[in-house]
Amino acid sequence: MKKLETLFVTLNAWALILMLSAMALIVGANITLRYTSSHSLSWADEAARYLMIWMTFGGAGLILRIGGHVAITNLQDALPARGQRILRACLVIGLLVFFGFMVHVGVQYAQRMQFQVTPALRIPFLYVYAAMPVGFALLIVHLLLIARPFITAGAFKPMDDAAEPLPGGARG
Amino acid sequence: MAEILFPALFILLALGVPVAFAMAISVFVALNFGSSYPSLVVVKEMFTGLDSFPLLAVPFFILAAEIMTGGAVTLAILRLAQSLVGHLKGGLGHANVLSSAMFAGISGSALADAAGPGAMMIKMMEKGGYDKPYAGALTMASAVVGPIIPPSITMIIYAMQDQEVSVGSLFMAGVLPGLLITLLVMVANARVSHVRGYVSGDPMPPFAQILRLAVHAIPALLLVLLIVGGIRFGIFTPTEASVIAVFYALLVGMFVYRSLHLRDLPAIILRAAVVAGAVLLILGAARAFAWVLIIEGLPQFLAQTIIAWDLSPIVFLLAVNLLLLVFGLFMDPLPGVMILVPILAPISLALGIDPDHFAILVIVNLTFGLCTPPVGSLIFVVASTANLRPSALIREMPPFFLALAAALLLITFVPALSTWLPRVSGF
Repeated sequence: MKKLETLFVTLNAWALILMLSAMALIVGANITLRYTSSHSLSWADEAARYLMIWMTFGGAGLILRIGGHVAITNLQDALPARGQRILRACLVIGLLVFFGFMVHVGVQYAQRMQFQVTPALRIPFLYVYAAMPVGFALLIVHLLLIARPFITAGAFKPMDDAAEPLPGGARG
Repeated sequence: MAEILFPALFILLALGVPVAFAMAISVFVALNFGSSYPSLVVVKEMFTGLDSFPLLAVPFFILAAEIMTGGAVTLAILRLAQSLVGHLKGGLGHANVLSSAMFAGISGSALADAAGPGAMMIKMMEKGGYDKPYAGALTMASAVVGPIIPPSITMIIYAMQDQEVSVGSLFMAGVLPGLLITLLVMVANARVSHVRGYVSGDPMPPFAQILRLAVHAIPALLLVLLIVGGIRFGIFTPTEASVIAVFYALLVGMFVYRSLHLRDLPAIILRAAVVAGAVLLILGAARAFAWVLIIEGLPQFLAQTIIAWDLSPIVFLLAVNLLLLVFGLFMDPLPGVMILVPILAPISLALGIDPDHFAILVIVNLTFGLCTPPVGSLIFVVASTANLRPSALIREMPPFFLALAAALLLITFVPALSTWLPRVSGF
């Protein structure tokens, strides 16, 4: 089980690494082409944007795992230990319901768009919009994996290959 | 719907629901109980918010800063800053502020500023005899310039909300206010150092050594000129500039400073993806949130009401300062910009206020909110990286709050601080 969890997290992390690298390479290649020849790749902007959408939703679960989503915990911290655990258990249940709902509406939306194709790449929009239900399904898995330490101690799981603590986001 | 939207958001935030989810949930709740719109509209808005080429600059600038801040670059900047001001009274403190300003030209975020060189400076200041909470508070105050001196993630998002400004003009507009804040925080540090007797042990290094350190730091400091210059002369767009910054950072890290190794790259990219993903998810949710306000007609309603009051521009700006400071107590800058700019920018334009001036005012205000309790991400980041209690940090903040307030008033009353540079450079 522990091994499976590590594998899952590693795969999720590598997916993000590859997507962000691909975004930079695609946009970088397009600029180079534009300056060295008169061509540019018509699909480059589109591919980079869709990769960004996939990175956002595909990364949300892993970010949740390491406590990277900004939340205000002043009220939580002010409660007695027992109250904290009850509140966090309610949060987990509430979030699971919300994530489930998002998978549901995400699937609906993606299905509605399945017959339209993107302008440049000409792939069905289904593959773009699938990012949301897939991302929220990953969120459910990640939340279940950290539910126990989170509810009992408000703790998250640090990333194995990131020795330094995260700078807490770049929210400003 | 707005009468459900805001209470729902505040209750969810208070309970500790992450900001991105709290915004999305409150939008769903407001739609279901206050309108006949289907839930799918929210999904559509979240995608629309993310499906944007200008927005790509956000992950790329974050990635460039992550690559750049590997050991050697940060060290080069710290050494240069210390050689320049280290010999003054309160010298290490001044070096902390100065290095934050230089670092702001590499990163586009206050939190990266505080977490990277800030954390190192706190350690150095503690060794140099400063009270640690004071060092932490100084780091918070000086990190504020991160998103005000270009590049800036907040400015990229702002330019997407207001058609009257461009990323290029905002980058230019931020330079002088950023330097002003740096100067005023240094003044506050000089004053406190004088009272408490923080002295410097180091003499001023010989000029030749300063020059050597400056030359060593130039490749890192050149990045900001490359970005701003390239955008100004139309060589590339802001998004392209952000990608060029990524590759520039790679080259400088691998071949100039030689502290970057290919084997470290996956972890660096992952850190950037995680930081960027958290930001982007908030932006997607904030887009849906702002959409509800717009279909409710809130911007037009407020605009008509406020314009009917017939305020003078300066009274309006002071009122906006107050509103933003209160808003900033509870909200981070990016969702703040997403939600407030569509409402406030049209009013300010109607009152004849320069759009660049107004943008800088909003951005500076909301960024200050990062170091005010109860919700201040900078407090949280500095407290956790330096192992300090938030209350100890806040007790040391008053001199810096004073400095920041003075900067805010100057920026409000002297529009030229924000508009002169963009105008003379041709924006």
